[in-house]
Amino acid sequence: MTQASAPADGKWGGPAARRLRLTARLLPYLYAAVAVVAVWWAVVLIAKPHMSLLPSPLLTAQTFVQLMASGELPRDAAYSVCRVLAAWSLAALAAVPLGFAMGRWQRLERVLDPVVELFRPISPLAWIPLAILWFGIDEGGKIFVIFIGTFFPILLNTVAGAKNIDPVFIRAGRVLGCADDTSLFRKVVLPAALPQVIVGLRIAFGTGWAAIIAAELVAARSGLGYLISNGMEVLRSDFVLVGMVTIGVLGVLFDAIFRWVDRRYNWMSE
Amino acid sequence: MTGPGPNAAKPNAAKPLSLRGLAKRYETADGRTIEALSPVDLEISPGEFLVVVGPSGCGKSTLLNILAGLTPPSAGEAWVGDIQVKGPDIDRGMVFQDYALFPWLDAVGNVEFGLERKRIPRHARREIAMRYLEMVGLADFAEKRPRELSGGMKQRVAIARTFATEPSIIFMDEPFGALDALTRSHLQHQLLRIWQQHRKTVVFITHSVVEAIYLADRIVLMTARPGRIKSALKVELAHPRDPTSDDFRSIERRVYADLDEELAKSFRMEDCGSNSPPTKI
Repeated sequence: MTQASAPADGKWGGPAARRLRLTARLLPYLYAAVAVVAVWWAVVLIAKPHMSLLPSPLLTAQTFVQLMASGELPRDAAYSVCRVLAAWSLAALAAVPLGFAMGRWQRLERVLDPVVELFRPISPLAWIPLAILWFGIDEGGKIFVIFIGTFFPILLNTVAGAKNIDPVFIRAGRVLGCADDTSLFRKVVLPAALPQVIVGLRIAFGTGWAAIIAAELVAARSGLGYLISNGMEVLRSDFVLVGMVTIGVLGVLFDAIFRWVDRRYNWMSE
Repeated sequence: MTGPGPNAAKPNAAKPLSLRGLAKRYETADGRTIEALSPVDLEISPGEFLVVVGPSGCGKSTLLNILAGLTPPSAGEAWVGDIQVKGPDIDRGMVFQDYALFPWLDAVGNVEFGLERKRIPRHARREIAMRYLEMVGLADFAEKRPRELSGGMKQRVAIARTFATEPSIIFMDEPFGALDALTRSHLQHQLLRIWQQHRKTVVFITHSVVEAIYLADRIVLMTARPGRIKSALKVELAHPRDPTSDDFRSIERRVYADLDEELAKSFRMEDCGSNSPPTKI
């Protein structure tokens, strides 16, 4: 592991160098995983808890393989991911345009801001009972809860991004031929606010990912949350742990995707 | 870099600028009216380099924003050639003090911005932009983002961006105000060279008397509260001008004398306005 110290500026070329840089970026995660497993194993060896309370990492790994092979884990993970993706996309479709409108038209913001502020502090989890009453335990209810959870981070960040554009960019855009609001929006407002919008989308995905598990814990027949709650009911804590690990790994993975998008499309990063 | 190529934006001949009773008043939140600019009459001939000199807060920027069409006047009109200024137009370029480069575009992308708005096809656009970057000596920095450029380089990109759209008049709002003295004199020199090649009508704002005399065909003095034009004088020295020469110095003395008189007047007015006696420290 001596060659793992890639330069901070990342100016290396070639596939070999790129592989090396990827390794360097993954290393901290590897350390974290090793440390967690070590502590876990130590606890199991020293305290010797009953298997239904805390199974050993080895047993959990076996269960993981078994659940992967049976297709149960991929299916549950896919359910959770698809629910979040669907609700998050719907929220983005609604919140991004509304956010730009509120950010650019003060009058609209003055009217809508109190409404937003009133709903924002209500955790998406508090909506779960209503969601069940309104939509039952089908997909609709979970999508609704995640929509609520992802809508506000996207909206608030888009509003902030659209509102805080340096006015000199607007003036420069106008003297450089953006005569109407449409072209000004497309060529100046949108790119200027984009970094903040991406931040909102990323934060929202995180809250959505946390909320879907909660929603599935309460009312679902599929998904990682269901895998966990079902594991509890049948006293299979190895199911619970496999579910938890999967949630963590997928969360890190999605965040990595967002960071990659951010590096590519955010003119403020790096 | 002589004359536009076959794909260049259609060059616009320099146009005269005519200000007729142009004035601006603001209403403050507590209902008072502030006269930012009292009626200005001014004729600027095509291809003239006019410099407006005045202390900060005298309404110079207000005047320029009105001329660029970014702020509507309270009274009066501005005409560029036979077109009345009603709003911003790509035919009237503007260079800002804080550069106003778009940080999400690289240098060449910034220069291409206005060309794209003029619907010049992509390959021609790139070619023109590169030529104007070359004109300001930054062809090697075409792919750099604004944050990778120094202040002087940013302003050169901004100048290239403005000239590239071939406007018939260019407004410059203290473009070198934020730069160090060396960069500043270098850019003044470069700007003059470009202006001599392109012969645009230029309205240039500064609070530096030396800069004004170095650049201007004609200097207009502006005074504060209310902003109004006090006097105009022609500078008939040949380029390049030597700020240490006697002729330069004598013009400098005249401008300062005029400005001092006006500044003294406006300070006296301020003293009368505040009834409290000056506090001794």
